[in-house]
Amino acid sequence: MAGWRNTRSRNGAGYNNLTASRTIQLGRVTPQAPGNRTVFVNDRDGNSLAHFKGNSISTTKYNLLTFLPKGLYEQFRRLANCYFLMISLLSFTPVSPVSPYTNVAPLAIVLIVSLIKEAFEDWKRLQNDKSINNSAIDLLQDQKWESTPWKKLQVGDIVRVKQDGFFPADLLFLATTNPDGVCYTETANLDGETNLKIRKALEKTWDFVTPEKVSEFKGEVQCEQPNNSLYTFTGNLIVQKQTLPLSPNQILLRGCSLRNTQYIVGCVIFTGPETKVMMNSMNVPSKRSTLEKKLDKVILALFCLLFCMCLIGAIGSAVFVSFDDYYLNLKAKNPSELDQFNPNQRLKVFALGIFTLITLYSPIIPISLYVTVETIKFIQSSKFINNDLHMYHAPTNTPALARTSNLNEELGQVEYIFSDKTGTLTRNMMEFFKCSVGGETYGTGVTEIEMGAAQRNGIILEEGQKSSNPIRDKGFNFDDARLMRGAWRNEPNPDACKEFFRCLAICHTVLPEGEESPEKIRYQAASPDEAALVSAAKNFGFFFYRRTPTKIFVRESHVERMGQIQDVSYEILNVLEFNSTRKRQSVICRYPDGRLVLYCKGADTVIYERLAVGNNDVKKRTRDHMEQYGAAGLRTLCLAYRDLNPDTYESWNEKFIQAKSSLRDREKKLDEVGELIEKDLTLIGCSAIEDKLQEGVPSCIETLSRAGIKIWVLTGDKLETAINIAYACNLINNDMRQFVISSETDEIREIEDKGDQVEIARFLRETVKNELKKCHDEAKQHLQTTAGPKLSLLIDGKCLMYALDPSLRSMLLNLSLNCSAVVCCRVSPLQKAQVTRLVRKGAQRITLSIGDGANDVGMIQAAHVGVGISGMEGMQAVMASDFAIAQFRFLTDLLLVHGRWSYLRICKVVSYFFYKNLTFTLTQFYFTFQTGFSGQRFYDDWFQTLYNVIFTSLPVIFVGLLDKDVSASLSKKYPELYKEGIKNTFFKFRVLGTVAFFSVYQSIIVYNFVTTSSSGGINSSGKMLGQWDASTMAFTCLLITVNLRLLMMCNTVTKWHHISVGGSILLWFLFIFVYSFFFTDKGIFYTIFVLMSTFYFYLTILLVPIAALLGDFLYQGVQRWFSPYDYQIVQEIHRHEPDNAASALLEVGTQLTPEEARSFAFAQLPGQSSRHTGFAFDSPGYESFFALQQGVVAPQKAWDVVRRASMKPRNSQITSR
Amino acid sequence: MNSDGPSSTSGVGGSADLATPRRNSKRPKYSKFTQQELPACKPILTPGWVISSFLLVGIVFIPIGLASLLASRNVVELVDRYETACIPDGFKKDKVKFIQSDSNKTCNRNLRVKKDMKPPIYVYYQLDNFYQNHRRYVKSRSDQQLKSKNKENETDDCKPEATINGKAILPCGLIAWSLFNDTYSFSRSSQKLQVNKKDISWKSDRDHKFGKDVFPKNFQNRTVKGGATLNASIPLNKQEDLIVWMRTAALPTFRKLYGKIEVELKKGDVIQVTLENNYNTYSFNGKKKLVLSTTKWIGGKNDFIGIAYLTVGGLCFLLALSFGIIYFVKPRRLGDPTYLSWNRNPGGGSNN
Repeated sequence: MAGWRNTRSRNGAGYNNLTASRTIQLGRVTPQAPGNRTVFVNDRDGNSLAHFKGNSISTTKYNLLTFLPKGLYEQFRRLANCYFLMISLLSFTPVSPVSPYTNVAPLAIVLIVSLIKEAFEDWKRLQNDKSINNSAIDLLQDQKWESTPWKKLQVGDIVRVKQDGFFPADLLFLATTNPDGVCYTETANLDGETNLKIRKALEKTWDFVTPEKVSEFKGEVQCEQPNNSLYTFTGNLIVQKQTLPLSPNQILLRGCSLRNTQYIVGCVIFTGPETKVMMNSMNVPSKRSTLEKKLDKVILALFCLLFCMCLIGAIGSAVFVSFDDYYLNLKAKNPSELDQFNPNQRLKVFALGIFTLITLYSPIIPISLYVTVETIKFIQSSKFINNDLHMYHAPTNTPALARTSNLNEELGQVEYIFSDKTGTLTRNMMEFFKCSVGGETYGTGVTEIEMGAAQRNGIILEEGQKSSNPIRDKGFNFDDARLMRGAWRNEPNPDACKEFFRCLAICHTVLPEGEESPEKIRYQAASPDEAALVSAAKNFGFFFYRRTPTKIFVRESHVERMGQIQDVSYEILNVLEFNSTRKRQSVICRYPDGRLVLYCKGADTVIYERLAVGNNDVKKRTRDHMEQYGAAGLRTLCLAYRDLNPDTYESWNEKFIQAKSSLRDREKKLDEVGELIEKDLTLIGCSAIEDKLQEGVPSCIETLSRAGIKIWVLTGDKLETAINIAYACNLINNDMRQFVISSETDEIREIEDKGDQVEIARFLRETVKNELKKCHDEAKQHLQTTAGPKLSLLIDGKCLMYALDPSLRSMLLNLSLNCSAVVCCRVSPLQKAQVTRLVRKGAQRITLSIGDGANDVGMIQAAHVGVGISGMEGMQAVMASDFAIAQFRFLTDLLLVHGRWSYLRICKVVSYFFYKNLTFTLTQFYFTFQTGFSGQRFYDDWFQTLYNVIFTSLPVIFVGLLDKDVSASLSKKYPELYKEGIKNTFFKFRVLGTVAFFSVYQSIIVYNFVTTSSSGGINSSGKMLGQWDASTMAFTCLLITVNLRLLMMCNTVTKWHHISVGGSILLWFLFIFVYSFFFTDKGIFYTIFVLMSTFYFYLTILLVPIAALLGDFLYQGVQRWFSPYDYQIVQEIHRHEPDNAASALLEVGTQLTPEEARSFAFAQLPGQSSRHTGFAFDSPGYESFFALQQGVVAPQKAWDVVRRASMKPRNSQITSR
Repeated sequence: MNSDGPSSTSGVGGSADLATPRRNSKRPKYSKFTQQELPACKPILTPGWVISSFLLVGIVFIPIGLASLLASRNVVELVDRYETACIPDGFKKDKVKFIQSDSNKTCNRNLRVKKDMKPPIYVYYQLDNFYQNHRRYVKSRSDQQLKSKNKENETDDCKPEATINGKAILPCGLIAWSLFNDTYSFSRSSQKLQVNKKDISWKSDRDHKFGKDVFPKNFQNRTVKGGATLNASIPLNKQEDLIVWMRTAALPTFRKLYGKIEVELKKGDVIQVTLENNYNTYSFNGKKKLVLSTTKWIGGKNDFIGIAYLTVGGLCFLLALSFGIIYFVKPRRLGDPTYLSWNRNPGGGSNN
């Protein structure tokens, strides 16, 4: 099944982002076609009428016939290629002064290179498709499983998929070898998540496992038409005149693989191109870098220049032509001949002159520029960024990955970073840290944030006394002797403790994996919070070790008496799932003794609303504790329970079942039903989970802000948590003037309590407007004073919603642009994207978004550069990103080192291209004046052709790859250097103007020195130079000048520079030796040999380049001495230091230290690597509101393990075996 | 890709041995290239370097300049502009008419030798305002035809002088057609000075571009003659005037070698030149000059290179000097951190 893997790895190569999995979560949902599809199971004849599509897929862009037209069309969508096509066509006409190949050859080379690349990639796709289409699957034929290639599958076929096999099409799940009719699937190919999802077949079909049995199966599936929504499916299975509703739980999607199940039997319902995964594969428009867009302007300017030159030349030509120059024999009339120089038709002379000169001056537009820049960027990203050892994260074994090579230099100009908090700034390694049970707080740890806060206040906190051997476990960092090892029995509130632990052990959707021993078990959880809570329960002596669809098995210690261990099974009756609206999760379970309990955990706000009256003391104390925890940066969850009366439960359960089986608005109805039973809860306490800051985040943020980058944190967390995190990572401090715009004020609450939506909106809008205005005015004042404090803005999602209103937007933008730090909390994924877009569009600055989860995808795609955190969580953010790094702190390397270098290099490459082609064309332009504006070429055709393609192409690539102004360590030591990129110091029109000036100067020197000095006899035999001798001479001088000029631009000169520059010049001589020796028909014949036999030649090639480069040299000397760039000063400061101090360290580093190895192995453990769904503090509920408004389907965390709740069969008695 | 597919079956045990991560490690391999640590020299353009480079250029250039200029100065050159002087008074108003008429165009000029001229003395003619590099002109030739006998009909490029009455012209094309046809003969004190017209063209042209078995055909048969006619019995590779002419000049003002005088001319000698002023430069107001010149190692008289060398060299000295003074007046310590933009204005405002 290498096929799917290949798909992924191709994607990973980062060069071509058109793959299936990339667009999953924001994929446009196509409106469903009217009608539905009826599939007759196991009845090929019955289905043949419907003409369903076959199961073979094709991801290729071209086929043999369409390759040329389509491929060429793609190429000519580039303006530069179009231009050269036009020029090439022109050069076939008699107006052209150059032979066609002069222009055709470079174009052809560029096109051929691009086409070969396309063809190669498409061929790889074809191979990939082939291997997928031909992979074997067991198809039911004549009561036997027969191995058949995937492509032969048809809708309605019944197939068997074995363990670890991939589903060949979208299947209806019929039967499995597992008891309870469940199977486990891995969806890594769809969304990159490696945790297992459960699917459950309809009970009715459970028995059809053996081929003999299945072949008897007759049924009819009615379902929706194929669509690309991965998480929805509606349909019915009609078996024996019974209509059974189908849900996504019975659907196995192509692209997923089967795990932990011997085999399953399924019926094909969607095939090949109609499978959901294929329908999701659409192209994401690739981002272009700002520099590249600016490059277009430069090209445009060159066009204008070209046009001016042509105009001048053409006017000259029209004026010049005269019958007086009889030697041109302009009178000779030959009607068949295009008479370009007829003095009687000066307008025609002018018009044709323009075409002639355009063809002649065409090299002013550097055709190979794009190809060269692309090559350089590709190598930069694939060789440098992907292989940087500084950005390799050993614990997760993740190197950095550039998924696109378009944006390297964009990394050098980033001014705004939008960062997600959870998983990006923090580790998202949830650890159970503290808890409050029955109004008593437990846990002695001190969080980093507390320590940070204490430091700010000048207090040094001692960590609480540690017990002698604290239990350390994954997700468990709790130490309090009062609770451990059964000690809780002696606490004032042992019953509350018991409920607390049971709630932790029962109320979740975690799947245990592996051996059923506390040490070896692994928990598969939808979010790390959950896993942390369950493992906390384990450490408290309530070890959850097995789950069946109806039961949860918990090994309880110390419950009855100390040291006693007993296995208890709780029957799970209902699961009320978590979602971002409910912000809570409940489980109804039956104790072995028949006690019916609802356990609920969720965000404080929603739980407190639903508590039974009374017990205010515990409520108050718990709330206080939660505030403390929140201030310490911990994530809190409230735990509560309710004892249920069997009658109440039964009546409720009926409603629940009804809601569950409804086909429309099922989710909504389930939510409503949930409300009915989740009330009158008894508060047990709360848990506090620490989400640790990632390594090196504070120092990274400090470095980045010194580099002039402004960091915005966009998080779904509460304001307090967000502020604490911002403090902890140095983003804000007490010296800053903080503007807080929050919706959590008393006035707003008051209005909200009244519940009038219109009034709330109006009031909020007013408040936000006033607040913004106030802050804005104050900010202005601060800005006028020079030494004013730095500003920071804290705003919450609700206010942001109003502040993003078009009328307030500009004020928000103005205010926030003046702030060095901005924290937006409680924001939805959509708002994250909106804020990013606001700055991108409004401020016209380069933005970078970094995030790790599905909720960051919008913002990652909205920013100029999207960075995904890889290695920890799901792959969705990475799939949408342009660069993937393992840790936030690697941003320093990515931006300050790679980005900055890349920016410098690309600037150099582009300005060098600009320079060399301008210089070349200008010499040609001067010559025009001395040829009677006839458009005679100065250089031989081949000189012109090879100038761009060969003689000046290689050295510049080396500069684009190897040039560095200061070493990597200095780049990080002096982050301020990065500001040069933000200000775009090296690609301003002023810089290009300087380049153009020297280009003019050099071309004048080269042209005039050569032509003037060649007008006399050149050696002692008195012979004269002809035109071609002069042009060979001039070209030699020009080539040497241009190549040496490149060396002068370099900050570092490696042997490759020498080899390539020397090689280019040498290559020219080799070429001209051969060319002028063999081609007797050419004017160029023998010129170089004649020239090289004279002193004149050597005198000139010494004189001209030095005279030409004198200006540059002088400029560089003066510039460096009198207004040095920052990097030049840094170079000078560290001029005596060897560059490679770091390499020794790296060499040693190839051995993993034991600690690294341990954490690496630790990271290898599964379970952690699941998408964070943000349990307690996930984006608030209005996220879906936004999503609906925008027509965007916000990523659902559907078909997660949480979903298993709805799989619960109606009658639990029957199903439990 | 495989190492992160964890949850399938057995997976990695809790206590991982070192070998497992090492084998699956995606750690990039160290290489100087990928880590961008290739050994490199980092030239910094310090004042020392600037000044010493300028000095070096000055030191190298000035002697070369002096030597070249000296050589060039030692070349003796006699130039005589004759296109107006050789028009009889009656035709001064309408020179074109004169040149197109059949009247006698012989003209006598006297040249006084100002310095001793050592043989070989090269005789050039210099034309002005003649666009031999005009596109229409340059491409109007057929190299194949000139080279090989059996390609005499390859005259496609030669328009508008390709054929006459359907027969190929050889040599075809505007260049050949407009071949220069003034002739000079020299005498000193009534004693004829032999002009050697051998070996005045590039050897490579004679050997490879003009065939030894290719003879002129149908040349200048048109009523309007462009220039000189060719002796149809002499193969092209011996027609050195044609070969010289067909090596088209780069600029509209050009000299072409006419011949060599192989006797020494003494200072004060008067050379009588008898010239046939046949060539029409009057249509386009072109000057005609006769040049007698000796050569040195540097070639003919060519002050430009020497002057250019001296100028550049001198300029470099000057620049070195002024840089030295400026650095002395307004020094800047190398690597002075106060020059860093963020140290200059803490607000981080402007950059240079």
